[in-house]
Amino acid sequence: MRDHRWFTPWLLVAPAVVWLCVFNVYPALNTIYMAFTNTKPLGGGEFTGLANFERMLDDDQLVHALTNSILYMVVCVPLLTLLPLLLAVLVEKKLPGLTFFRVTFYTPVVASAVVVALIWSWLLDDRGAINSILSALQVVTEPIPFLTDRWLLLFSAISLTVWKGLGYYMIIYLSALGNVGRELHEAAAVDGAGPVRRFWSVTVPGVRGTMLLITILITISALRVFTELYVMTGGTGGPGGKVSSMVMLIQLYSTGFTGSLGYASALSLLLFVLTLLPMVLLARLNRKDG
Amino acid sequence: MSVRRLVGVAAGLAMGVTAMTGCGTGDEPSAGDLEGKIEGKVSIQTWALKPKFTDYVEGVIAAFEKENPDVEVTWLDQPGDGYDQKVLTQAQSGDLPDVVNLPPDFALPLAEQEQLLDLEKADVDLEGTFVEGGLQGYRYDGLDGTYGYPWYLGTDVNYWNTKLLEDNGLDPKNLPTDWDSLFEQAETYQKTAKGSSYLISRKPGINDFQNLGVEIFNEDGTELTFNQPEVVELVQRFADAYKAGLLPKNLLSEEFQGNSAMYNESKVAWTTGGGQHINTTLKTEAPSLVDVTTSNHAFGDGPLYVQGLSVNAKSKNLAAANALAQFVTNAENQKAFAELVPGIYPSTTESAEDEFFSKSDGTNAGDAQVTAFETLSTAIPNNPRWSPAMETILQQQLAAAITGDATPQEALDKAVEECNKILTQ
Repeated sequence: MRDHRWFTPWLLVAPAVVWLCVFNVYPALNTIYMAFTNTKPLGGGEFTGLANFERMLDDDQLVHALTNSILYMVVCVPLLTLLPLLLAVLVEKKLPGLTFFRVTFYTPVVASAVVVALIWSWLLDDRGAINSILSALQVVTEPIPFLTDRWLLLFSAISLTVWKGLGYYMIIYLSALGNVGRELHEAAAVDGAGPVRRFWSVTVPGVRGTMLLITILITISALRVFTELYVMTGGTGGPGGKVSSMVMLIQLYSTGFTGSLGYASALSLLLFVLTLLPMVLLARLNRKDG
Repeated sequence: MSVRRLVGVAAGLAMGVTAMTGCGTGDEPSAGDLEGKIEGKVSIQTWALKPKFTDYVEGVIAAFEKENPDVEVTWLDQPGDGYDQKVLTQAQSGDLPDVVNLPPDFALPLAEQEQLLDLEKADVDLEGTFVEGGLQGYRYDGLDGTYGYPWYLGTDVNYWNTKLLEDNGLDPKNLPTDWDSLFEQAETYQKTAKGSSYLISRKPGINDFQNLGVEIFNEDGTELTFNQPEVVELVQRFADAYKAGLLPKNLLSEEFQGNSAMYNESKVAWTTGGGQHINTTLKTEAPSLVDVTTSNHAFGDGPLYVQGLSVNAKSKNLAAANALAQFVTNAENQKAFAELVPGIYPSTTESAEDEFFSKSDGTNAGDAQVTAFETLSTAIPNNPRWSPAMETILQQQLAAAITGDATPQEALDKAVEECNKILTQ
């Protein structure tokens, strides 16, 4: 059994290492390098020190994008951490017909984000179903500008993200709920705990690990939001570009013959740090809990 | 870790780094001689001409090879979508074909990197062969030389739905000819239409600013300068019109289906299109509008869309590549191509008076074609330094101005400021 050569383990991991180096490590290092240059798609660039980061301090678009990304995170994290858990608790029981609801809740996850965003845009348009119904019921006299007002547009996109994510996180919670002992619920019930008390005192502590994982996942995806905002603003970032996200800004600056790859890389680096911070924070909290 | 393991890891890493850095740093091919013999293998790349125009292109190539028996031509045709990325990748990896179809804005960054042949160095009478507008497309502020043989031209004319105009109190014989008459007639139109259809359904754009006579860039192309009083006034007019209900409310949202689609559905009475818009788009997408559509000259000078063939400066068979580009863009081949493709026009001086393009057959489609052909003499090509990112920023700021989030002056100043950042980065 000891008759293998010293490089055998290296050979075994080599394909994965090469893959990681070529498609992850090298692009990541290259991004860090380019963040300190004025690289263009053609002709390379020169080292410009902190110029790209100085430009960030004077970039209103970035302020809007950061505000939107943080708002996205602040609204999505609690909603997508709690609502899917409630849904999971609802559909966990083995009752006839519940499969239908499980499938229904999961359907938006399977649908393409672009298609879903387009459908929502149709619904929320000035002449869309929602405004038509509100007008017919005489709730509003003028159509609500869901797709042209900065805040309404942002919260419409957040609603879409929450609606689309519910089913995905519900499935994760469902598997976690299977590990919460039935005897704990029974013991709590015997001690006189009602359903609400059992939810907070038995279910929630039982899925705490999963909750933390989901919080991290939502935080990352909220900071990196793109499709919903891109489609619902027609790729422009809304009036004044105030409904852009960080990724939309990176896309704006990095594409085409004249893209500012250096600045786009600096933005990517900022997004990376922003994504890393909550993850580190949550990981530390988890360790403390442990 | 033992020494030999360390050596093994170091060797592996060195190989990996070599493999990674090896990409794109290979020896650059040495360029051929422009004055040399016309011979060898050359490639030509076109943009979405297969399969519709395969016979034409193959015919031209065969004629060239017959005239130059020592040359073997390979034809590459790229799909319509993602052509800019394809060309960018080719340029980055040094795989640019010998002759390549590049619109002026694609050619500019390649010219700046000295990847394209400056045609002033070739033995050709550019001014005597091609119209001024076509050549202007490939002559750039801050850069000496001409970097593409104009191949074909296009422009826009105004199209009007006469039925909608009549139904809403307007006279099709008194069509709007400038922004003043357009906004004036839009008010009259909306009194009857009351939102069921519109006369105007688009935002202003960089072409409109250019047509006002405003300089989009400064002389050496290093700064944007379009935040001028004339443009502010035009944007203000759009903002007022939006507020007054003269434009569709969803004009600024993703759900806006576009001016052309609205025209085809008779939801708007004015659109713009190429010279053969009636015979092509309307005939297939809205045949009922063919008989009720009339046209007139675009507001101002009109836009000029230029397509051309550039020669790879690093072509190994430069003389053959240059000869091929000249052959494809010569007057005879351009005329044949323009007669084949609806809505495009030759860019040669020889075709400037061609009756095929300058005489109407008396139909509304024929009139539009002639109007477009006449527009070419005044039309202005877009500044190729105007990039998609700048367009996005302009659209963002125009939306802010039209919704009243910012004044037109503030929005245009902001657009110029942000676009300048892109330009200088």
